[in-house]
Amino acid sequence: MEALGFRDETSSEDVVSAANSLQLIAFSIGEQTYGVEITTVREIRAWNGATPIPNTRDFVRGVINLRGTIVPIFDLRARFGEGQTSPTKNHVVVVISVGEKWVGILVDAVSDILTVSRTDIHNVPEGQAVDNELLNGIITHDNRMVGLIDLYAVVNGARVDD
Amino acid sequence: MSDLDDFKATYFDECSELLLELEEQFAAIEAGDSTSDRLNAVFRAIHSIKGGGGAFGFSALVGFAHAYETLLDHVRDGKVDLTEPVVALCIRANDLVADFVKAAKDGVTLAEGYGSDEKAQFDVLTAAEGEEETLEEFDLDFVPVMVQVGPKTLPADPSTFTPDAAADHFDVAPLSPSDLGWLVRFVPQPELYARANDPLLLIRELGRLGAVEIRARVDDVPLLGDFEGMASYCAWDIFVSGDKVTRAAIEEIFEFVEGLCELDLREASRHELGPLTLPPQAAEVFDDGPSLADLAAEIKPKAPTAGQAVEPVAPPPEGAAEGDRRNGIHSIRVDLDKIDRVVNMVGELVITQSMLTQQMDESLRAQYQELVRGLEVLAQTTRGLQDSVMSIRAQPVKTVFSRMPRLVRELAVKTGKKIRLETVGENTEIDKTIIEQLSDPLTHMIRNSADHGIEGPEKRLGLGKSDTGVIRLSAEQSGGNIIIAVEDDGGGINRDRVLQVARERGVVGADQQLTDDQTDQLIFAPGFSTASEVSDLSGRGVGMDVVLSNIKKIGGSVQVKSWPGKGTRMTLRLPLTLAVLDVMLVTVAGSPYVIPLSTIVETMQCMRANFSRMPTGGQVLKVRGEYVQVVDLAQRFAMPTSVDDASRFVVLCEAEGGQKIALVVDGIIGQQQVVIKSLEENFQSIEGIAGGTILGDGNVALIVDVQGIKVSSGLAHKSAA
Repeated sequence: MEALGFRDETSSEDVVSAANSLQLIAFSIGEQTYGVEITTVREIRAWNGATPIPNTRDFVRGVINLRGTIVPIFDLRARFGEGQTSPTKNHVVVVISVGEKWVGILVDAVSDILTVSRTDIHNVPEGQAVDNELLNGIITHDNRMVGLIDLYAVVNGARVDD
Repeated sequence: MSDLDDFKATYFDECSELLLELEEQFAAIEAGDSTSDRLNAVFRAIHSIKGGGGAFGFSALVGFAHAYETLLDHVRDGKVDLTEPVVALCIRANDLVADFVKAAKDGVTLAEGYGSDEKAQFDVLTAAEGEEETLEEFDLDFVPVMVQVGPKTLPADPSTFTPDAAADHFDVAPLSPSDLGWLVRFVPQPELYARANDPLLLIRELGRLGAVEIRARVDDVPLLGDFEGMASYCAWDIFVSGDKVTRAAIEEIFEFVEGLCELDLREASRHELGPLTLPPQAAEVFDDGPSLADLAAEIKPKAPTAGQAVEPVAPPPEGAAEGDRRNGIHSIRVDLDKIDRVVNMVGELVITQSMLTQQMDESLRAQYQELVRGLEVLAQTTRGLQDSVMSIRAQPVKTVFSRMPRLVRELAVKTGKKIRLETVGENTEIDKTIIEQLSDPLTHMIRNSADHGIEGPEKRLGLGKSDTGVIRLSAEQSGGNIIIAVEDDGGGINRDRVLQVARERGVVGADQQLTDDQTDQLIFAPGFSTASEVSDLSGRGVGMDVVLSNIKKIGGSVQVKSWPGKGTRMTLRLPLTLAVLDVMLVTVAGSPYVIPLSTIVETMQCMRANFSRMPTGGQVLKVRGEYVQVVDLAQRFAMPTSVDDASRFVVLCEAEGGQKIALVVDGIIGQQQVVIKSLEENFQSIEGIAGGTILGDGNVALIVDVQGIKVSSGLAHKSAA
């Protein structure tokens, strides 16, 4: 399948039948690309600091004020065990709804919106427990691997005593 | 179906209000104040519950409410005396109605024959007046008839057709030969039904004035396919004659539905009513009715000609006032979410306003005097707005207090004790959110009093007390707080037993000596219960700690005071509102934190504080001859700070039960008001943090949970020891 790019640019022959297709917001952490389903994304905003929360794991960067509600920010790099991100103004927070809750995930950059077929989702190969835990599946796009983030897993285990 | 669901939701809302009203009225009636206003209010409440229940087909509820209503009707008419057992039965019946409503709401079916004992007692009480009962039965019997006939006014209220049926038979066997009387042309508007009025009741009232003869005008009744559920199709011409019939008496009957119907009233002779014509199929059905002739005969004695003095029951003035209130809309139902949004925004506004005021330094003030004046007006207006919005949310504590009499009754039965509940200050108003959170704690506290506090009747008599124990529930406003107290005149807290259990469970160290007050507070320790046997009511060791955590959650505190042999008093101190909190803004490791001002005793610089080191490495602070545990928030939150010790500050706070704790922070910024925001809404609860708030600059500050830190530090200390 060709690079599909933004929805508007998608030519008709590339359109995967709606019922079977999945649109993803793709973002990068270092060299690696990950994606979440577009319907779960509420907002994308620039990193502007967060108030740290005590007694939480290092991947909880703190909380921000999102129009009057308090939303926690998860550092995805730290969640993958690659150390905390040193965020700049160029880093991006993707605000996502996970069940009833809204959470932000700190990523390096948002790269693309992808339309893929559900049948193209591969299982995560057995191996690293962390990968299995945090990814729902793998998609090949443009010869690159895009990991589908399991948002519930990312949010879990945030407290030190969990 | 969503429309119907909406109606149902409204109905259940109304039911809970009506049930509260019942509790209230009966509390007064029980106290000996059984005026006809109260009885009428009770009757109306049950009637409304029954009426709505019928519309939704809650047959169990309707069946019970109907029997109860019959009893109430008898009581109202003075046919049944309101003796103590009858009041007790009514109160029990209220509880059952509440159960039926709850079952209907939850879609649960209650056990077959639930409430049948009480129903049987109603029947015994009302049986003396057999004909009335039969008339009521008559209503019910005719429900299937209505379905077959078709032309009816409102599907929700099949009984409306029955008076015609009754009247038709009056025609067969005329009650009163008097040919002169009053002709009432009664055309109900849909609103009449929408407000749960029942034409049958009105017509029945007319029947008490004198002999009635009725023609239903059903010409407007459309074919079933064109039938609109909410429309009113049926009208009645009613000829009423008798000595007591006056224009005023008739108008009085219809006063309650004034504006809800067309009413044409004139003196007339009987023949103006016109001949009786029955739709053919209806006639057929009526022919099948086996008991109609009997019924007519039974109804006959109700006419004044039988020599009975049947007092016309005038609509109560209170009811009329209520009617007025309904006509002109003086209150509206608003979704709580909408109010909450307003409250939140006003909270933000207050904070923005105080931030603006803070930004005005002296040079700016001198330069922009108009701006300063404007800001002052803004401050005033904002305060006023805040107060008004808070008053919208405020509700009298009555709404939760009135649930307690039932609880006490049940507890008295289960424990075999005699308990009387007194309530004081029920009209004290408090934020709705707080009220909602009060029900569980109060339930636990009253259970505790009934189970552990109040002694059995024999023991009480032996102690020279009255055999009836008293639980007193009171509410009052005191400054910015609401004080709610639960007092009992029981045995007080058994301190020896409490200490013994606390030592057994390791809550208190073997060598630790506690003051009486400290011992009393132990009943709030998690998992603590002194009841030697786990009873059905309390004693599972969950309860009092639930009280503490629930009250803490809404920013309140709990205190207990006990007098051995004389009683116990538990006091809840609650904030008037949850929306805005007065706090002190501090910094710890470069991040802002706020500490509720209500917990702060004093602040001091670390360099002036008198610290001492404990053997385990912890620190204590000596302040005014008292040693207080010290918690360094930076250490506690595991956030390294670069501020040197000498320039840091101590914030001395008071946790539950007057226990103090000294928190060390990096800096103190100042006091301000904040709006509490939940961390759990999008995240989860964090130990030592009670929530978050948004500062004037848009950043989030966390609220320090003083009590939580005190408790967890105590635990850490104990495990280290």
